[in-house]
Amino acid sequence: MHKIILAGENSLLIYFGDKIDPALPKNIANFANQLKNKYSEFVVSLTPAYTSLLVRYDLNKTSAQVFKSKISDLLERFDPAEIERFPNIIHIPVYYGFEVGLDLERLLVEQALTLDEFIHIHSSQSYLVYAIGFSPVFAFLGEVDKQIQAPRLATPRIKIPAGSVGIADQQTAVYPTDSSGGWNIIGRTIVDLSLKNPDNLDKFEVGDQVEFYPITRDEFIRYGGQI
Amino acid sequence: MSFKVIKPGFLTTVQDYGRLTHTQQGLSQSGVMDEQAYAWANHLLDNHYNDSALEITFGGVILEALDKMVICVCGADLDFKVNDQSAPIWRNLQIRPTDRLSWSVPKHGIRAYLAVQGGFQTQALFGSKSVNLREHIGTAITKDETLTCAPSNSNLERLMMPRYIPDYHQKVILRLLPSYQYSEFNDAQKALFFGQSYTISYANDRSGCRLNGAPIAIKRDKMISEGISYGSVEIATDGLPIILLKDAPSIGGYPKIGTVFSLDLAILSQQQPNAKVRFELMDIDQAQKERAAFNQFFGVSEIQNH
Repeated sequence: MHKIILAGENSLLIYFGDKIDPALPKNIANFANQLKNKYSEFVVSLTPAYTSLLVRYDLNKTSAQVFKSKISDLLERFDPAEIERFPNIIHIPVYYGFEVGLDLERLLVEQALTLDEFIHIHSSQSYLVYAIGFSPVFAFLGEVDKQIQAPRLATPRIKIPAGSVGIADQQTAVYPTDSSGGWNIIGRTIVDLSLKNPDNLDKFEVGDQVEFYPITRDEFIRYGGQI
Repeated sequence: MSFKVIKPGFLTTVQDYGRLTHTQQGLSQSGVMDEQAYAWANHLLDNHYNDSALEITFGGVILEALDKMVICVCGADLDFKVNDQSAPIWRNLQIRPTDRLSWSVPKHGIRAYLAVQGGFQTQALFGSKSVNLREHIGTAITKDETLTCAPSNSNLERLMMPRYIPDYHQKVILRLLPSYQYSEFNDAQKALFFGQSYTISYANDRSGCRLNGAPIAIKRDKMISEGISYGSVEIATDGLPIILLKDAPSIGGYPKIGTVFSLDLAILSQQQPNAKVRFELMDIDQAQKERAAFNQFFGVSEIQNH
């Protein structure tokens, strides 16, 4: 069931499964907490993502072999059903407009949907945080409804404005800062997710839930959105 | 105690040991590219191993000292001069007000570290003073900026034993731990990988070092993203390796053939494009033994201070 492999001179990678599964992120986050609490004298950092947990440890205090067997023991006793932490629900307002949703018009044609239908599909469900990475505070959210899934652009854009909301296959995400990227952009939020506000570092955790809700063009501008 | 920046250079940033504990929130490890040269500079000054230093890439830098202080420059020889006179590296140096420190061009290696007693007094962000331009955390030094350092009190005469000075021109052998997807590569792929000399390409920065050579044929080009450790060697869709370094994203989705031993990455960080590198297998016990000895010698303790 679980597999532990070498990831470097001071790191081990634990696999909790081999397929993306909505049950895994919460289990992984929960196990990460248990591991950190039990072995705080060894654990330097933990990186959860989709199906795995990367563990960096202090090699001056333990070895690959010894720490691997400690993790193994803890995994054997680990009960995924005992979820200790209740996931946060994060609400994100999005203006789904053609001026900011750079790919929205094309997606509506390709997917034969009206704008209202598209907005309804994207904003009427709750998404799970599967991983955080690519850049700080960039949360990979899933799973996007089949009707609005779209592959990455063949040529990534050089600059996507901060706050842009994108779709790549079954995933959706918000770009926290201006960056390059190949996701289909469907709207923009007024919420600042950049590290200019240092508290944003803890905005998302793997296993959290994210819900988008539509706002109008007027509301977007009133709250500081730039068109 | 401070310096005034007369010329900021191509890429000069404050770095420390790294921002180790925030990978969970998507932050890179960051920190110095050459852990060896940086550790020596702090060691010679009797600093804490995590005190910040200035990482000078390629040169083009002029600083003016505004106070009397003790400094130490380690790593690349970027034609380091004090008041236009060649000055020694890998040893402590007494500096006086109005002294001009300059690093012009790479003569041996490409990254020099300027350490001062107690480190540079820049603001720590998310537990580290390391600048990461990709993540918009901190900025490179700028013209006319004042770089403040802690008061320098002692007149510490100390130098490194010449036999420890690394030779950056030697043939670079990167020892690789068989980690991640190593076992999923077949014998022919491994033979090609370990059997050739790769060339360092121009796509080579603080995030990663892309190598040129004969591509490995790979079937699976993308996989489920997973946590990246420092030195992981991704085989990209084109079959060529990318060695992931300090500013690499915390997760990635390409198969990885292994992880380069950290102290060999110190030597890699001093190489120019077109330099040749080879890979060789290393076992985990040997890697842990060598790194533990390094950590003990330089007082590195990743738990205690992070």
